[in-house]
Amino acid sequence: MSATGTCEYQAKDYKSDLKPIWCPGCGDFSVVQGIYRALAAVGRPPHEIAFVSGIGCSSRIPGYTTAYGFNSVHGRALPIAQGIKLANPDLLVLAAGGDGDGFSIGGGHIAHLIRRNMDITYIVMDNQIYGLTKGQLSPTSQKGRITCTSRYGSLEEPVNPLLYVLAYGAGFVAQASPTDLAGMASTIEAAIRYPGFAFVNIQSPCVTYGEEAQQIKGLKAISETLDSLGHNPADRLAAMDLAQQYGEKLHLGVFYRNPEPPPTYGDLVKERQAALSKDALPKERILDLFIKK
Amino acid sequence: MAVQGIDFANLSLMDALDLAILIEDEAQERYEDFAAQMEQHRTPEAAKFFRYMVENEAKHARELTARRIHRFGDAPRTVTRAMIFDVEAPDYDAARAFMSPRKAMEAALAAELKAHAFFVSSLPTLKDPEVRALFEDLRDEELEHQQLVQAELYKLRPETGLSDDDFVDEPTAQ
Amino acid sequence: MRKDLVFGMAGSGGDGIVSAGDSLLQAAAAEGYHGVMTKSFGSQIRGGESSCRVRISTSPILNPGGNLDVAVALNWEDFLKFGAELPVSGNTVVIYEAATNIPVDQIPLVGVTPLQVIAVPIAAMAKETAGTERAKNTVVLGLIAGWFGIGAVAVMKGIRKKLAKKGEELVEANQRAFDAGRAFAMEHPLKVSMAIEPSETKGQVKLITDGNDMCAAAAIFAGCQFFGGYPITPSTEIMQFFTDQVWKYGGAVLQAEDEIAGIGAAVGASFAGKKSMTATSGPGLSLKSEMMGLASIAELPLVIVDVQRGGPSTGLPTKTEQSDLFAAAFSAHGDVIRPVLAPTSVADMFRITVEAFNIAEYYQTPVIVLSDQEIAARKETLDPIDTSQFKIVDRLRPTATDLQDYRRFKQTENHISPISHPGMLGGTYLASGIEHVESGAPTNSGSVHARMNDKRTKKFDPLKERRDLFEVLGNPDAPIAMVAWGSVAGVCREALAMAQAKGLDVKLLVPYLLYPVAEGIYNDFFRSVQKGLVIEQTHLAQTFKLLRMHLDLPKGVKPLARSGANPFLPGEIVAALQNLLAELQRSHEGNLQPQE
Repeated sequence: MSATGTCEYQAKDYKSDLKPIWCPGCGDFSVVQGIYRALAAVGRPPHEIAFVSGIGCSSRIPGYTTAYGFNSVHGRALPIAQGIKLANPDLLVLAAGGDGDGFSIGGGHIAHLIRRNMDITYIVMDNQIYGLTKGQLSPTSQKGRITCTSRYGSLEEPVNPLLYVLAYGAGFVAQASPTDLAGMASTIEAAIRYPGFAFVNIQSPCVTYGEEAQQIKGLKAISETLDSLGHNPADRLAAMDLAQQYGEKLHLGVFYRNPEPPPTYGDLVKERQAALSKDALPKERILDLFIKK
Repeated sequence: MAVQGIDFANLSLMDALDLAILIEDEAQERYEDFAAQMEQHRTPEAAKFFRYMVENEAKHARELTARRIHRFGDAPRTVTRAMIFDVEAPDYDAARAFMSPRKAMEAALAAELKAHAFFVSSLPTLKDPEVRALFEDLRDEELEHQQLVQAELYKLRPETGLSDDDFVDEPTAQ
Repeated sequence: MRKDLVFGMAGSGGDGIVSAGDSLLQAAAAEGYHGVMTKSFGSQIRGGESSCRVRISTSPILNPGGNLDVAVALNWEDFLKFGAELPVSGNTVVIYEAATNIPVDQIPLVGVTPLQVIAVPIAAMAKETAGTERAKNTVVLGLIAGWFGIGAVAVMKGIRKKLAKKGEELVEANQRAFDAGRAFAMEHPLKVSMAIEPSETKGQVKLITDGNDMCAAAAIFAGCQFFGGYPITPSTEIMQFFTDQVWKYGGAVLQAEDEIAGIGAAVGASFAGKKSMTATSGPGLSLKSEMMGLASIAELPLVIVDVQRGGPSTGLPTKTEQSDLFAAAFSAHGDVIRPVLAPTSVADMFRITVEAFNIAEYYQTPVIVLSDQEIAARKETLDPIDTSQFKIVDRLRPTATDLQDYRRFKQTENHISPISHPGMLGGTYLASGIEHVESGAPTNSGSVHARMNDKRTKKFDPLKERRDLFEVLGNPDAPIAMVAWGSVAGVCREALAMAQAKGLDVKLLVPYLLYPVAEGIYNDFFRSVQKGLVIEQTHLAQTFKLLRMHLDLPKGVKPLARSGANPFLPGEIVAALQNLLAELQRSHEGNLQPQE
């Protein structure tokens, strides 16, 4: 239902006229479908949605979505998204990008959006590679991986995106994959509906530079739904335990959902504005603050 | 999971027909997406084939729609697109830049097989005889589609065994 | 009787010299004087050297003044650290702490014989009257009241108000210290009386504030509803003002995780339809440059305040300089015009900040307000500003017709396209840092890129005709000229008055708009000019070079440029102008020589 509670939206209402530049076979085609479907389920009209990204193949995604899109600069989707949210807390704000955008160049921002509990859904299309620049090592590439910037194999441990956000205290942490489009759509929907910062890591294969094991077939072989494991998403420690297996297992579904979500930053901003508005001098008299009596 | 939130045991004929139409719609859209991808990535022969599939699916959807209107008029639909996922639509990862017509046809064939399997596996859960009959029809039509694609495949010259990727330029950095 | 007095005081942080300066300025304002106060510090958080300079006058003040009339040294080591910031001349009365045990004829000022040097047992008087040496600053205020006639009543009134909550005992202790200082002054009259004339405007309302607070207040007046930033000296007070006030106006402020996130949030807020700003200093400006480029190509209004300090890198964090000019004009890659405005005083910070928002909104562009540490931190007394005379500009919104076929970057006659924002039905579009066609869709097309660059740069043409963003003082046909902006302009205004008093035919151009360079306005100004100085606090003569890049300056125009933290004195500028006049006369005489 929309804010006005009248219109219903279908997935295709969120599809824009732009043709994706992604390579045929790219996992991101499924992701954008999942997003359309999740948005349709949530039902907010496109003009009440702001969708922000950084730079990378996946960061093209706002352009393929009918909404107010912002394809910004590398690594900075989250700062811009939080400015939008603070300027207008009533908007539905989505941020998206790749693993390099989110966990390398922009890695410093995530912790702060989490601790501010910004009501933003952040979708990372994790493909363990820099595709747009032709296959360099990414922060989630496996140790030992050979790429054009790691000719003899990477010497670094990958970032574990799930543990990263769980450790900082995100209220909603989930994982999805094009291996299960239905699951992906409902996971994104749940993330959007969560009142607070919500993170969805999506294993989205790169058909051009990705390794065989990370293609759909390989992912299917290691995927398991968290539901089927009987995981209780209110149990943060159990979630962290499962998240340890990132890279070996592909757990799909909600790792953690805070059963008692604290107020969001936007809520607190509105509260403060309401409490202080009575103290405002008329704007044209603001300089009276400088009169020393 | 190809479907979500459908109670097959109590599926009405109208809902079953609507579901079938939605399945065709989804496949049609997917082939449109694939055709656009191929056009975007300079793979015209595969694009042509996918456009052909768009027409096939559209035709099938039209036939089903006519049936639905004949039987139930414009009674409001109760099933939605949100209930189905990739039933007859080929998986997104089936597409590749510079894919040969043969690869494109194989992708379509796999999708038809998938759809066939869906109808086959649904049959035992259905109780309404009319719905059963419809699903059997649909299953058989998927078989016809398979044969159609197979026929196209036979028209092609045998594969050389060489990979498409051996002939094309490297990807470009953005 | 004097009409104008410049006090310079230095001590260590614990001496409370800056709060004494504050009290003096407020007392002067209460007594109807005009006043300016600047502060300067060492880099220690506490206990480093600190100084302030307070200028008090019966008429409006153009700058913090040159040589001191009164120098107060609580210890010499600290005083000397400020060097040229606290210049002592033969007309200065020097007051210093007797406990330093330095005889009056041996004070460590080289090459200058002050008018009078007085050793005062300041610490001893404080201890005796207030029971603690910490009251030294109050003793100094008493001395000033006694010798110079400022604040006999108003100083203690202010102190009483400030300390009222802390109890009568403390107020009384201060009163005794103040009285002791004043009595000492009465008992030891100066050789030449330096008392100031009473002000004619006593009793009129005056504002007292500094450049940073004025900037923030002006922003809120202009309709700014979002501030995103990161603490950095000397700009932080702008964010502090916002945290105090902006909520009341339905806005928000975010102390972000870093400089980039600060401006990023401001870019986001602008995209969401709110007037927004960020503030920083040199290092932050460097970090923000990519986001500034983004705001330029996405055509989003945004105000960025850069309070300059000495650079490069950490440089001199607490000292003023004008060396961010190139960075302000040229930071961020690509072909970009980003307007740069510069206030010259706390008073015109109001107008310039409002103007920055108006330009940002009208042209849909980031705008830099290039302030500097001196303006940011100096306190001025001001006559009330009539805010009703300021016009507020809002961005061009799409009409219902525009929204029927909305193209965010539509080509228009003036290159400005209606801008929608989230929440507006029919206005969805993709904002992007990547080149885009009129609809906002990304493109790789060279021809679209050229067209869009044209749109994004030509839209500023009318800005270069804004004569109201320039001020010409003096005879418009004068052959000798000065160009100065920012806090240096104030010194030049005073130098102009002094030069005119000496009969020099000089004029001064003060640009408030630094970039884009308004070629036409400069060409008009330089038409009569044979000799001139571009006066600036940059080591590389950045202003001079920026002008040369755009104009054929007359050959006789040269830079008078120096690194920051070395203030210009009006007197030295007058001397330089006199040299120019002499050169001009010599060359005229040369021209009169018969040809061989």
